[in-house]
Order: sequence, then structure tokens, then C-alpha cells
Amino acid sequence: MTFPFLQLLFNSLIIGSIYALVAVGFSLIYSTNRFMHFAHGASVVIAGYALFTFFHLLHLHLIISILLTLAITMSIGYLMHLCIYKPLQQRKSSTVILLISSIALLILAENLILLFYGADVKSIGLIPPRTGISIGDANITVLQIFLIVISVILLIFLYLFLRHTRLGRNLRAVADNKELAAIMGLNTSRLLAFSFVIGSLLAGIAGILIGLEQNLNPMMGTSLMIKGFSGAVIGGIFSVPGSILGSYIVGGAENFGTWYLPSGYKDAITFTLLFLFLLFKPAGLFGMEKGVKA
Amino acid sequence: MSYWIHILILVGIYLILAVSLNLALGYTGLLNLGHVAFFGLGAYTSVLLTDAGVHFIVAFLAAGLVASLFGLGLVLITRKLKGDYLALATLSFHFVIYSLLLNWVSLTRGPLGIAGIAKPSFFGFSITSNTAYLFFVSSIALITIVIIYKIVSSPFGRLLQATRDDELGLRVLGKNTTKLKAKAMMLSAFFAGIAGSLFAHYITYIEPNSFTLTEIILVLTIVIVGGLASIKGTLAATFIIIAIPELLRFVAIPSAIVGPSRQILYALILLMILLYRPRGLFGRIDLT
Repeated sequence: MTFPFLQLLFNSLIIGSIYALVAVGFSLIYSTNRFMHFAHGASVVIAGYALFTFFHLLHLHLIISILLTLAITMSIGYLMHLCIYKPLQQRKSSTVILLISSIALLILAENLILLFYGADVKSIGLIPPRTGISIGDANITVLQIFLIVISVILLIFLYLFLRHTRLGRNLRAVADNKELAAIMGLNTSRLLAFSFVIGSLLAGIAGILIGLEQNLNPMMGTSLMIKGFSGAVIGGIFSVPGSILGSYIVGGAENFGTWYLPSGYKDAITFTLLFLFLLFKPAGLFGMEKGVKA
Repeated sequence: MSYWIHILILVGIYLILAVSLNLALGYTGLLNLGHVAFFGLGAYTSVLLTDAGVHFIVAFLAAGLVASLFGLGLVLITRKLKGDYLALATLSFHFVIYSLLLNWVSLTRGPLGIAGIAKPSFFGFSITSNTAYLFFVSSIALITIVIIYKIVSSPFGRLLQATRDDELGLRVLGKNTTKLKAKAMMLSAFFAGIAGSLFAHYITYIEPNSFTLTEIILVLTIVIVGGLASIKGTLAATFIIIAIPELLRFVAIPSAIVGPSRQILYALILLMILLYRPRGLFGRIDLT
């Protein structure tokens, strides 16, 4: 068999787009709040199951289901901030405590879903999945093209939002220097909460796209979160464009790597890449060195 | 009764695992989220060696030594990182080990796991009954606690705590803190490794999924509930955390629900402790 470059490229783009949506939300929350919000993966999986519930179980219209799902993920992101993180931050807890509490939140959410929905995979079953288009030797489905396009549009919108709107500029100001932003009269506590809402919204969109394209299982939050933060760390966790680039690198490394290695090593490739970056370039490709090294 | 013996054996194994994590996390301030990887490495080392015909005692010690060597490697390669980044690096170390166990099928049998692991036998004894195993695990746990207690109350232990409190200050006094951290991590990993061996030869079946993120949460919960740098706290917390979910069994709920409920309970306990009593039961220092 010849080297199926185009197919591997498509697969990398599809999975990279999903990772990028997870990673930018994570990176946005990290850059304003300065801690690793692992439970971001929970937002993704909650979105997938919420869409499954509204669309598949309750037979609501797709658009209504999607809107309800996004409302739920944004509220859950806000609630996590309000009930857990904010009290911890106000007590000036170390970022490590926040990191551990976010892992606990992720485990909590995944197991609640496991409890209510069971361990078997769920399929939303919207579009017959294998109506593919052939380009050369490679196949890609309409849904997958849609997924890539939607992700890219959203990522561009997010970039423009952060660059060119007042709110986006305020968010970047808080990310850059929280004390200074507060002195200049910005309502930092509202902006911190707002970054959770926006970040969770992006996680929700990722969850919906995954739900439409793949099957859902309760434990997918952890693996998506790992890929998302790997992408963010590799690209530079403070930088939204960096996180996007990092996520496509992770997607590419996984897919092109499995041409040479058994497909079971997909995750190992990501972790090794992450580990190497943490060791040799912990600030990532576009990152700052601040707060990384001892 | 036999059921409580089973629980007590688990308490003994997790006690070794948690006290050894407290040595690294609580006493030395090494934020290690990869402790369960040492546990898994120990379990697999011990099982593969005994399967190859090596004597149990040798395999048991080798489990500790292999884990210890990985501990040394982990400290050396992450010595420049701190805070979140150290946590992430140790966590990804855990994931690398996990994917190795899962994918190196020719050695570990991958997701199928290894079944029919022999119960330990040495010096003419063969530990087959659970009562005997409880005695064995309790002795090892007691020895571990005594050794770790001796370590932390020795001058070396004070140096470890000084590394945690003021690394720069200690370096100014001419101490090699990287060496101190490496020693602490190796000791911590050694005991996690032998705990893995005890676990494998008791359960007699291991698979990569015995060593996942949820296990890290469990051990972290024990250490944080008990309190950092407190052996007494870890002791109390191990009993509480391992025994409480067992009460779920006496409520009439189906077994498919017991697993997730237990994880939910651990996660909630951990969150509540972090929110309302961050120093745990007997903790003397804050997690930083």
C-alpha cells in the first residue's frame, strides 16, 4: 500500500479541529484564571450527552437541541467557576489545589454520566455517517467537511473577537496583568467568570460536533481533555493561535504516527510529544517563559 | 468476616501507597501526580518476574527497585519544572506508562491483562488464605510506616522538609537539593512499587485499567484528607476512605452503580476537603 498522505491529512484535520476547539477554551480559561481547568473535558462530554438527550431521547428539533445544549454547557462552566474555583481563588489557594479540584470535578462529572446513562456507547444518529466524497484515494464525509469548516470559522471568529472587540481586549488585559487591569477599572471578577462561559461554550460546540460525528462514551472527557491540553501546552498555553496550531500538530502526529506504529500507540505519541515539550520547551511554541521553571 | 479481611488487606496496600506518596508530596513537596504509575510498574514487574520463575522475594524487591529507578529518571528529567508544569509532566509520565502497559502486548498482554497470578510463597510458606495474606500485608505496611517515620524524623527527613519549605535557602547552605529530591522520590517510588506487587499477588489479575486516573484521585484523596506531612493523618484517612464506600454495599443498590457511586463519593470528599478544610485531618502545611 502506498503512503495514503491525503487520507491521513484529512483525518488529522478532522481530529485536529476538535482538539483545537477544546484547546482554545482551555487556553482562554488558563490565560485569564492561571490554573489548569481539567474539568473542561467534562463540559465537552456533558454537551455530547445533553444533545443526545434533547435530540435523540426527547425528539426535539435539532436547532432547539443545540441551543439548549449550549445553554447547559455555559451554565455548567459558570457554576463550576462560582461554586468551586471562585471560593478557592478568593482564599488564595495555590494553582495546584485548583488543578486537583478540577481533576476531581472531571471524575465527578464522568461518573455521574456513567451512573445515569450507562457505560455503553451512545449514538445521536443524525446523518447516515458513510455518505463519503472521494478525493483521489481519500474519503471524507460531508459531516466531516462541515465539522472542519465550522471549527475553522469559529476559531477565526474567536481570534477576531479577542483582537478587535472591547470585551476581547478586556479579557486579554486580565490575562496579561490582572492587578493592573483591576486598577484600570476593569471588573476582573466578571471577566474571569466570562472567560469560563466563553470557554465552556467552545467546549460545548466541540461536544456537539463529536456527538454528531462519533459515538459518545462517558469517559471520553478525559482523553479529549488530555489531547486538548497537550495541544494547548505544545502551542503555548497563553496563546490562542498557539493552542490551535498545537492541536493540529497533535492531530497530525497521531494520524501520521499510526502509519508507522500500531494504532494503539496513538495516545502514547501525544503524551511523548507533550512530555518532550514540557522538558525542552515548556512554554510551548508561541509561549512565554513566565511561571514555568523553578 | 472474610469480607472485612478483604477490606483490611486493601487498606494495608493503600496505606503503603498513600504513606509513600505523602513522603514525596507532603514531606518533600514533590508534586507527583504519577505515583500510580510506580504502583503499576511494581505490579507488572513482580508478576512478570514470578511468571518467569523468579523467587517471590526477589520479584517483590525488584518491583520496588524498578519503580525506584523510574522515580530517579522522573526527578532528573523534570528537575527544572515547578508548580502546574511539574504536575502536568508527572501526569503525562503516568499516561506514558499507562499506554506502554496497554500497548506493549508481547510483554504485558495489553488490555487482556495477566490472570492467574500466583500467590506469594517463600521460605517454605505459601500464602494462600486471605487471613495469612492480611498478616503478610500488615507486616509489610507496618515496616513501611516505621521506615518512613524514621526517615522523616531523621536529619535527612528535616532536609527533605527544608527542601519543600525553602529550596533556595537550602541551596545557599550548600545542600544539593536535586539529590535530596531524587532520594525522596526513589524511596517513595520503591514503596509504591512493592505496594503494586502486594496488590497484584493478592488480586491475582492485573490489567492496565487497574492503574488509571481514578486511582490517582483515590490516593490523592487519602493523602489530602489525612493531611500533608502527617503519617497519623494518612493512617486515619486510609481507613476512612477505603472503608466508607464499602458501606454502599449494604444499601441495596445494583453492583453496576457501586463503581461510579464510589468514584463520585471520592471526588466529592476531595472537593469538600479542598474547599472547607484544606489541611485535612492532621495536616501541618498547605499544598503549594
